[in-house]
Amino acid sequence: MMRLNRSKKAITLTALAASVALVATMVPAQASTDKVGVTSKTIKLGISQPTTGPASAGYNKVAPAMNSYFKYVNDNGGINGRKIELIIKNDGYVVQRAVNESAALVDEGVFALVGSLGTANNTAVAEFLDLKSTGLPSLFVNTGFSGFSVKKDYPTMFSLFPSYYMEAKIFSEYIKKNFPGKKVGVIYQADDFGVDALAGLAQGGITLTEKIAYASLSQGTPSVGQSWITKLKTANVEVVIFYGVPSAVAAALRTAAALAYKPQWIVTSVGSDYTTLTGLGVTNAMLDGVVTGSFLPAPTDDADPYVKLFKTIHTKYGTGAFDSNILTGMNTAMMTANAIKAAGPNLTRSGLIRAIETKGRTFASASLTPPTYSTTSHAGYAGFWLAQINSSGVMVPESGKYKVYTTDAGKGAVKVSTYKRPAMPAKGLPK
Amino acid sequence: MHNHHRRRLIGFAIVGILLFLLSNRVGVLRLYQGSTVSMYVIAIGSIVLLTGFSGQISLGNGAFMALGAYIAVLLQTYLSLPLVLTFFVAVLGAAFFGLILGVAAARLSGPYLAGTTLALAVALPSLVNQFPVLGGEQGLMFNAGSAPEWLGEVSRFKWLFWISTLAAIIACIGIQNILKSRYGRTWKAVRSNSTAAELSGISSARSKVLAFVISAGIAGLAGVVLALTAGTVAPGAFPLSLSFAIITGAVIAGISSLLPGSVVGAVVLVGMSQLVGTFTSRFQMGDILAENLKELIVSALLILAVVFTPNGPGEKIRAMREHRKHHSHGGVR
Repeated sequence: MMRLNRSKKAITLTALAASVALVATMVPAQASTDKVGVTSKTIKLGISQPTTGPASAGYNKVAPAMNSYFKYVNDNGGINGRKIELIIKNDGYVVQRAVNESAALVDEGVFALVGSLGTANNTAVAEFLDLKSTGLPSLFVNTGFSGFSVKKDYPTMFSLFPSYYMEAKIFSEYIKKNFPGKKVGVIYQADDFGVDALAGLAQGGITLTEKIAYASLSQGTPSVGQSWITKLKTANVEVVIFYGVPSAVAAALRTAAALAYKPQWIVTSVGSDYTTLTGLGVTNAMLDGVVTGSFLPAPTDDADPYVKLFKTIHTKYGTGAFDSNILTGMNTAMMTANAIKAAGPNLTRSGLIRAIETKGRTFASASLTPPTYSTTSHAGYAGFWLAQINSSGVMVPESGKYKVYTTDAGKGAVKVSTYKRPAMPAKGLPK
Repeated sequence: MHNHHRRRLIGFAIVGILLFLLSNRVGVLRLYQGSTVSMYVIAIGSIVLLTGFSGQISLGNGAFMALGAYIAVLLQTYLSLPLVLTFFVAVLGAAFFGLILGVAAARLSGPYLAGTTLALAVALPSLVNQFPVLGGEQGLMFNAGSAPEWLGEVSRFKWLFWISTLAAIIACIGIQNILKSRYGRTWKAVRSNSTAAELSGISSARSKVLAFVISAGIAGLAGVVLALTAGTVAPGAFPLSLSFAIITGAVIAGISSLLPGSVVGAVVLVGMSQLVGTFTSRFQMGDILAENLKELIVSALLILAVVFTPNGPGEKIRAMREHRKHHSHGGVR
C-alpha cells in the first residue's frame, strides 16, 4: 500500500508541475516570422561562436569586434533609424552547444544569425533550426566551407570568406610554381573544413606524400603535435600545408621548432593570425617565412583606409591588440550593415536575403576581391593574395604589393584578379 | 496488483499528454532542452537500475550509449532502416555487448568493476576512429526525419522532443515494471546481502549479469536519443564526462529513485548550465568563469551529495519521511 501511495503522489506532483509550467509558458501565437527581431528603433542579431575552449584563441575577438562596428554605426544614427543589437553566445566550438545556443537566440527573437563560426556547427544549426523552411537568415558565416554557398541546400545562408577549396587551389598553384618536385604533406582538421581543402588540393593537382587528419579539439592534447611532426619528418616532407584553427597551428609550429624540423609551412588564412599564434607561444623565429593567404589587407597596413578606420573604431569601442581577427569581425559587421541598409526601411527577413542576392556584389567592404553574390549563388569573396610572414611578424605580400588571385568553386583556373576596390564610403558607413 | 499497474500507466499517459500540450506552447530552446532532459532521464534510469538496485558501479555507461548510437546510425546509413527499428535493434545490440561485458563483470566488484567500465568508456571513442566505416571524427549524420504529414506542420525541435519524450516515458514504464517485479526484488536482495540471497536460492552472478544487460540496453536507448539531439553520431559526443554526468544526475536525486529521481537529476544537469550562464552574465563574470563554474558546481554537487548523504539527498529525504511515517508500527525498509 505504501508504494502505491508514493507513486500516486509522484504522479500527482508531476502532473501538477506540468500544468503549472503549461500555464506559465503560454505565449500568443506569432502571426509571421518575417519581421521578428525588428522594431522601429532596433534590430536584434545573434551570433554563436567559441568564447572559451581550445578553438577560441583569436576567434573570440571576432564577435566583440563585430559589436564594436555596430556600436559605431549606432552612434552614427543607426540604419534607417534602427540601432543594431548583437547577442553573443558561447558554444565552445562544440556542435551540440552551437545548436543549443542558436535555439536560445531564436527564442530571444533575433532577426538573423550573423557570423556564426564553424563548419560542423553551422551544418548542424542549419539542420536543426530548419533554416530552409523557417526563413531565418544566417549571414556571412565564419567558415570557408564551400557547401554553404549552395543556395539550393542553404537558401537563407550566405558565405563570406573565399572557400577553403578556392584557397587550396590557389596554394596549389603557388606550390607548383615555387616548390616544384618537393615532397608535400598536409595536416588537416578531420571534418568538412579539412575535407574541403583536400578537394581543392586534389583539383590543384598536388600529390600529397603524407596526409595527417586530426580530430577537432584534439589539439588540446599535449602529445598531438609530436605525433604529427614525427610522421612528417620521417617521410621527409619539405612543404607542409596546414588546415586547422590557430591553436592547432601553434601546436605544430612549436613542436617543429623543438624537433628542429624546418619545412616550408603554408597555413590557411583562418589559422595564421600573428597575434593569436604568438599568444599561443609561437615565436617570431618559428613564424618567419610561413606562407599564408588573406582576402583583407594586412592588419598592419595603416595606409589602407579600412584598416585605419577599423583601428580607430577598435580604439574607441574595443579592447586588446588589433589583429586580423578584429579586422575580419569588423568587415563582417560592415557587410551586415550594408545588407540591412540595402534591404530598405521596411525590413524583413526575405527582403534582407533578396537585397544580398541582388545588390551584394556592390557592397563596400575592406576585401581586395569583390563579393560574388547572385540570385543563384551565395558565395562571397572569390580570392586571396598570398603573403609570407617575416621575422617581425608582418605579412609581406608575395610581390611587394597585394597581388590577388581569384578562382571559382569548380574546375576553373586560378587567375590574377583585375578588381579595383572602390573608394571607402564616407566614414565607412553603409551607403 | 493489476489495479496498481493500470493506475501507473494512466499516470504516465497524463504526463505524456501534458508534455504534448506543453510542446505546442514553448520555444525551440525549451524543446531542445526538453529532449536533452529526456535523454538524461533514460541514461540516469540505466544507472538507477544497475547501481541503485543491483549494487554494481559502472563508470562506462557512456560507452553503451555510444554503442547504441552507432548501431542505430549504421542501420540508418547503410540499411536505410526506419527510425523505430533502429531504436529496437540499437537497444538489443547494446544489451548484447552488455552481456559480454556483464559475464566478466559478474566476477568483478566494487572498484574493479568501476575500473573495467571506465576503461571501456575511455577506449571506445578512440577505437571508433580506427574504422572509416564509422565516419571517423566527423561521424555519421543521423536523421530523425520529419513528422508524418497528417500531424500538420511540426518543427524539427518539436518532432525531436516528441520522439525523445516518448522514448523516456516508455523507458520509465519498462524500468519501473522490472524494478517492481521479481527481478527488482532479487537485485535488492543480492545487493543487501548476497550470501543470504544465495542461501535462499538466488544465483547472485546471474542476477548481476541480467542487471548489467538490461542497464546496457537502456543506456543504448539513451545513446540513440542523444544521437538524435546531436544530428550526428561522432566519438566527440561520448566523452568520459558524459558517463560522470549521468552518475552525478543519478546520485543527486537518490541513486535508487527512478521517479521522480531521474527526472530531477536530468533537470538539474540541463538546468545547471543555463542557470550558471544567466548568473554569470547578469553579474558580468565572463564566459571563461561561467564555463568552469558549471563544471565546478556539478562536481561539487556530486562530492557533497556523497559525503553527506551516501545514497543521495533524495534518498535521505525519503528515508526520513518514511521513518517518521512508519515509526509507530516499526516499519523497516
